[in-house]
Amino acid sequence: MFRRTAGFFTVIFGVLLLTFLLIHLVPGDPVEVMLGESASTADREQLRTDLGLNQPLVQQFGHYLGKLAHGDLGQSIHTKTPIIELIKTRYPATVKLAVLSLIIGLAIGIPLGIYAALKANHWQDFLVTIVSVRFSAMPAFWLGPMLMLVFAVWLGWLPVSGMESHASIILPALTLGFGLSAILTRMTRTSMLEVLNEDFIRTARAKGLSENIVIFRHALRAALLPIITVVGLQMGSLLAGTVITETIFSWDGIGRLLVESIEKRDYPVTQACVLVVALSYVVVNFLTDLLYSKLDPRVRFGA
Amino acid sequence: MLKKSLLMMCVLLLAACGKPSPEVSEIHFAIAQAPLNLDPRYATDAASERVNRLIYQPLVDFDAASNPAPALASWHAVHDREYRFVLNKNRALFHHQTQLTAQDVKATYDSLMRLKDSPHVAEFANISTINAPDENTVEFHLKQADKHFPAKLIIGILPKGLIEKEHDFSHNPVGNGPLKFVGWQNKLTLERISDKQRIALQEVKDPTVRVLKLMRGEADLIQGDLPPELVKYLETKPEISLKTSIGANFSYLGLNMQDPVLRNLKVRQAIAYAIDRQAIIEKVMVRNTRVAGAILPPEHWAGNANLTPYDYNPGHARQLLQEAGVKLPFKLVYKTSTDAQRVRFATILQAQMRPAGIDLEISSLDWGTFFEDVKQGNFQLFGLTWVGIKTPEIYAKAFGSHNFPPNGFNRGRYTDVELDKLLTKEDWPAATQRIHAQLPYIPLWYEGQFAAMKKNISNYSPKPDGNWDDLTTIARLATKSSATISNHAY
Repeated sequence: MFRRTAGFFTVIFGVLLLTFLLIHLVPGDPVEVMLGESASTADREQLRTDLGLNQPLVQQFGHYLGKLAHGDLGQSIHTKTPIIELIKTRYPATVKLAVLSLIIGLAIGIPLGIYAALKANHWQDFLVTIVSVRFSAMPAFWLGPMLMLVFAVWLGWLPVSGMESHASIILPALTLGFGLSAILTRMTRTSMLEVLNEDFIRTARAKGLSENIVIFRHALRAALLPIITVVGLQMGSLLAGTVITETIFSWDGIGRLLVESIEKRDYPVTQACVLVVALSYVVVNFLTDLLYSKLDPRVRFGA
Repeated sequence: MLKKSLLMMCVLLLAACGKPSPEVSEIHFAIAQAPLNLDPRYATDAASERVNRLIYQPLVDFDAASNPAPALASWHAVHDREYRFVLNKNRALFHHQTQLTAQDVKATYDSLMRLKDSPHVAEFANISTINAPDENTVEFHLKQADKHFPAKLIIGILPKGLIEKEHDFSHNPVGNGPLKFVGWQNKLTLERISDKQRIALQEVKDPTVRVLKLMRGEADLIQGDLPPELVKYLETKPEISLKTSIGANFSYLGLNMQDPVLRNLKVRQAIAYAIDRQAIIEKVMVRNTRVAGAILPPEHWAGNANLTPYDYNPGHARQLLQEAGVKLPFKLVYKTSTDAQRVRFATILQAQMRPAGIDLEISSLDWGTFFEDVKQGNFQLFGLTWVGIKTPEIYAKAFGSHNFPPNGFNRGRYTDVELDKLLTKEDWPAATQRIHAQLPYIPLWYEGQFAAMKKNISNYSPKPDGNWDDLTTIARLATKSSATISNHAY
């Protein structure tokens, strides 16, 4: 556990250092972004001094860490909004969308995967495989507008996009959830097929246990480990913000904020977003590892 | 497990679907890009400037020919370094119900000169002092004579009391314009002072989604930034009305004049002759798009209607390249953004230039990288549009020999002593003629403006520079169909 925690903080420090260096080494100048193309050299130099950009990089990094320790992420160059406020409004939106997408993905993917495994090499299995392959091949920029057309414009059941009503989250969550369910269906099917051929399943059936208990208590539990790996990775990606889906559905999440900040060269916002995304990945990985040990007692930290 | 999952999904769906919008009378305007900053001292993006025109009022605005015209005040030059402005007697109150006075004007421009991180600071560096001798009079004293000075006073006026309290105008603007700020949570809501009509501006980046929102009734109005096929699709819809106008925003190809091949005038002429502007305008542009000759359109007071367009002539272009001693095919890298319409133009240009012997390689970059490359001079050819340009000083900033970035917009690093003289003399017809002949850029077109709206929306028309001034008059007709639409709106 100690090694894990130490690793966690090492990764975070590495991310901080890397994002700081990347932002300061890529072409472009925050002062120019602020003052535009007509400012005098004297004004530029004055602002550069005021912002501490003339100081050595080590000193700037130390200053950045000091501010970070006090929860100060700076402010957006363009909107002058404190970045912590941007993160506070954008990140929960992404988490909400990610969690609902994951629920949809799990709710469709795992039952369908189990069903396909139980009906392996029958027409039902082929049908599930075809549908899941189709869904995994549909990009969000196509599936999103199609869902809008059907459920919003033709049927009039749901809003096209935006965040005004609770219903607004359904279409983006379905767009992400369908793609995720296709991956989970394939993974669950493969994993279940392997487990169903194991001796302990044959033993359970020979003992006369009901099929439901064999499938859900014995087989699924054993098959869950690779599924959790995939879920962990997918959740990390979802929490990093799904730029295309967020953009199409006008969903004000962290992914959209990150991409917009890169486009506008809003360096402090980019830096903060990368930090949050990296933290999300690290935390999700950490939780995934914890879940491993719960599901399989053979997996122990530090072992 | 399957049953539980399905049950959970149904509950979520039901919970989510059961809330229709309470704001049925709001007019919804779906925009491609949300404003970045509602403090006029910081705003530079088009969306912020368009909204700020509605919330605040400047001292000076422009008439149809882009001459400076009185807005909050009329003026006269006391001498060449002093201007006196007298505020209109019937000026509106600030939205927090205080009277706008000369002190507010002085405080606004004083604060602007003090700000160290405003992109507008350089514009006002020539101001020496500002006096407000009485409630209605403001005097600007300049360091150097500037006869175009009034045209620069287009920053919205802020209340002095709030400036002193360091009020956050960026997110909570207070002006004395015809619309006042209500709130900004996912959408920007404004309220018209005259009749309390609320207007909500919501950013919807994807053009297809903007059209779907209009069709669905979630948006009442969209303007510009649509590919022509979507505009044509909307034209077929009986519930949508489409209005167009000529445009004044100038699209062009920028050339790097430090490139050894592009420095040759014949090569630049060859590129100009290798583009079939008329075909592009007819096939892939919205209605009312016009072939352009100079940054300022012919109807501008400093416009030049006598510039002969470069017609498509790939044979002549090829001949010019051969005369210039360029080995064919001539490879040229064209940088553009990742915007779908821009990439489409690039592929059309590539096809049109091929018969002329130009092998155009397209380099499509994210906006930040692309614009950074343009400013750094790291390009051969790029495509951009000048938006909202009102004064002819742009020619000096864009082509003056001393205006290379970061001291101006001469991104092509063009030097021309002859042109510098004409710019100094402010001989705009001769200067635009010289630029047109020397081709430090390749003029393309002024893209037509259009707005699409539900049939029950009236009193709104697009404007040549794309501003949203008609939000001061827009109205929703109370019809049976609009009530039906509103009931569906979320």
